[in-house]
Amino acid sequence: MSLTNEYLKALLDGKLAWTEVKNIVSRPKDDDRFLRVLEILQQRTGWKEKILMPLTEHLYIVQKGNERVVRCDCGHEFGDYRCNWKLQAHILARDSQASLEEIYPGLSAPNAELGEVREFICPNCAVLLKVESVPLGYPLIFDALPDLDGFYREWLGTPLDDTCEFKDLSLDTTAAWGKALQAS
Amino acid sequence: MTHTIALDVASEAKQGFPRGIGHNGMTLKQMLAENRSTYAATGCYRGVTDPHVLQRDPIKAELFHTRMLSALIAGREKTRMISASPFVREVAELAIGIYTPDGDNIAQSTGIQAHSKSMGKAIQWMIEQDWESKVGIAPGDMFWFNESSIAGMHPADVYDILPIFSHGELVAWVVTVIMEMDIGAISPGCMPVPNIERGTDGVRFIGEKVGSNDRLRHDIHLKCELSFDMSDVFLLDRKGAIAANLHIRSEVEKMIEEFGLEYFRSGSAELIELERRNQLERLRQRTVPGRYRNVAVFEYLMKDQPLTWLAAKKDVIRLSPIETRIETSGRVSIDFEGAGKWGWHSFNATPEGMWGCLSISLVQTLSYDGRANLGTLLPFDLHLPEDSIFNPRDTRPLAQANIWATTIESLGVWLTSLSQAYYMRGYREEMLGFRSAYALAMAGYDQYGNRRPMVGGTVGTIGAAASAIRDGLTGGSVPVPHVDVGNVEIWEQFIPYLDLSRRLNPYSVGHGKYRSGLSMPIMNLMFGGREITAGALCSGGTYNILPNLGLGGGYPGAKFIRVIVRNTNAMELIAAGKPLPAQVGHPADPDVIRMLQGDVWIPHHVPEPFELNVGDVTMDANGAAGGYGDPLERDPQRVRQDLEEGMTTVDIAERVYGVSCSSPENDDHCEIDKAATTALRNDRRESRRRRAVPVEDWWRTSRERIAGNQLPAMISEMYQSSMAMSPAFADEFRAFWALPETWKPEVK
Repeated sequence: MSLTNEYLKALLDGKLAWTEVKNIVSRPKDDDRFLRVLEILQQRTGWKEKILMPLTEHLYIVQKGNERVVRCDCGHEFGDYRCNWKLQAHILARDSQASLEEIYPGLSAPNAELGEVREFICPNCAVLLKVESVPLGYPLIFDALPDLDGFYREWLGTPLDDTCEFKDLSLDTTAAWGKALQAS
Repeated sequence: MTHTIALDVASEAKQGFPRGIGHNGMTLKQMLAENRSTYAATGCYRGVTDPHVLQRDPIKAELFHTRMLSALIAGREKTRMISASPFVREVAELAIGIYTPDGDNIAQSTGIQAHSKSMGKAIQWMIEQDWESKVGIAPGDMFWFNESSIAGMHPADVYDILPIFSHGELVAWVVTVIMEMDIGAISPGCMPVPNIERGTDGVRFIGEKVGSNDRLRHDIHLKCELSFDMSDVFLLDRKGAIAANLHIRSEVEKMIEEFGLEYFRSGSAELIELERRNQLERLRQRTVPGRYRNVAVFEYLMKDQPLTWLAAKKDVIRLSPIETRIETSGRVSIDFEGAGKWGWHSFNATPEGMWGCLSISLVQTLSYDGRANLGTLLPFDLHLPEDSIFNPRDTRPLAQANIWATTIESLGVWLTSLSQAYYMRGYREEMLGFRSAYALAMAGYDQYGNRRPMVGGTVGTIGAAASAIRDGLTGGSVPVPHVDVGNVEIWEQFIPYLDLSRRLNPYSVGHGKYRSGLSMPIMNLMFGGREITAGALCSGGTYNILPNLGLGGGYPGAKFIRVIVRNTNAMELIAAGKPLPAQVGHPADPDVIRMLQGDVWIPHHVPEPFELNVGDVTMDANGAAGGYGDPLERDPQRVRQDLEEGMTTVDIAERVYGVSCSSPENDDHCEIDKAATTALRNDRRESRRRRAVPVEDWWRTSRERIAGNQLPAMISEMYQSSMAMSPAFADEFRAFWALPETWKPEVK
């Protein structure tokens, strides 16, 4: 059963009481949820380009001409969605005990000798897009690479206008950085 | 229409083959083989391509399932009334399932739903080992099983298995699992850490026939009395389990009388097949196909453990990348390629353990309509590399007391990927996650002079993860949502300590626009007993490195804090009527250190066993799961409410959330200073701009350190292990850091 537009907006905005959220969780799912959410996000961003999928609180995959790019709601773009957007972000790596203790004081701080807490920041609006906690040296995690064509074609039944290969392009970027490093 | 293919074993049975106890004279082994081959051939459970029996009369079908479920829940409550262990009576750490003759789960009770597939695996192993012909399976026979190398989460979980016969054939099984406080393991506790070899894990049952005609064998009774310090508790737990099994057997017999055997048989198969289909439909409805990644970390610190085989005395970190692929068919594969190598400790997982934790994760997040059974898991594939920490080639010689620690850490991290998929699909209210946790186990003489293990059940009070629309649950435990910590006064009867705190810890939180729930510390004052040794009770794997549980800009919860204060003045404070520590306080100066005099020790999550005496104080403050979203975007009014309710502090409000308030914390009323808050948040954002660098710059700096093998020795060894296990992981690691093909991590 579909939720009313206002009710859905209230849900997305965290304005519903737990009892109401619980009712939504308990009852059969509203099958039109994805497209309805997309419609609301499209209105809220005011973008001409079509949002294909929300990725995180502030990031969206947007159809921009022939490209599918990751865009922050401030307008900053991070490139092809098949390349980990984190590679194009700014990073505050909490890799010292002092910097970790800004968030986790005293004994509650992890050990900077073994791990780090990486904060990925939008270069434009400075919003915190993602926090990643990993052992030192662990490659950036590509959290989600959706199969957009498969999703729209086979699950929604409305194929996208064009198709692109479902492929992780992230290592192309680090390879290019490696070449630049060698050249320098 | 039901297709039966491949093995025409029924006609073989008629033609003079030995008559089995299964359907149409088949042996259980034949039934199992036929079941597997029909699934492989049709992709449908037991070849049920058209589940018409249940769908013909939905009301009857609903009655059928409800009768089964109510029998299971009534059985579970019956067990609680009979058992003596607070794990059962207070915490309800048990579960019951009904199984097909060849060991597939049809329905399960609430409780620790990690065992639904595993209990069936125990039955299937017995079937494969010819229990039917070599041991004998007859009405009224009882079997026990806790052989974790084959099935189960650790030896402390004991399965009571009872066959159900009707019309002269075995028509079902009922199995009850109870976690035991005492399984005869080495000290301390029932899940000891200082053990590496099988013999230290305690008593194992490998499906022994422990009773017949509904009565426990006299020799088994005696064996229990001699094997366990708490044989009274163990045997009362068994009586509780047996009572539940007999109750459910009786209910199943009534169901067969009422619905008919054929309906019971077909209906059971269709319940599994329909759940398989529903699960696929849920995945297609609520997620997005594609690839999801995360990583889990495990710190196995064994160097200081009192091990008798010295080669095992070492500290290692193991990691496991977790790659989830959701196909457009709805099928999901979870791939642990790159997981590090197994080791000589009790934390190695097993494939069955991993299935168990997947099961308990799914029944809380995807399949929570009460119909979870084997079908819930059929759309999933697990890739667990051989000889990794998830799948040692030969588990028989290994201690297995802590399989749960590694499995629950992995699946807790995995749930963030499922939450990510929910978010992308728009079902933000479905996002859910949990955090692993630690406590202490003990052994020694209790306040009544009995020598025995002492394992508290209060580890379950961990703040759950936030979703994209609300804060996480406080004080809950997602892995075992139907358990609670029980009454403190009951635990104090079993363990010679007094509970000092039921206060939630604001510093445990995973911060974010929506924060995680809060965890509750475990703080105890030893007040009796003697010769008590304490050690770790592990329900997780990370310590120094926080688990990667934040979403959308939220942080993972804080590090686990353990403080031991020995030789305190607590008894003098009590005598003088002065306050004792009752909360964690500020993590830079916890109350147990600030308010007590004594010898302070801050050990890690798996310390070597240590002595506790009257007057000693212990504190275990577990971190919570992850927050969601940028903390600077948290509604200041939510921060105000948290301050008024003691869920956060002024310090956290200002430092993390950039919220300035004009009243002290824990006051009934608190005012937010809007102008100061705006200024503070702008300042925080400016600070980010100043300090953050382009990822490419960070990559160059980090690469230099990695290429020069300047990582700490434990981290380098961790990468060595994963790279040796997986060429694919090694290739991607080198490619990410643009390292030469010949580069290898070196331990310096």
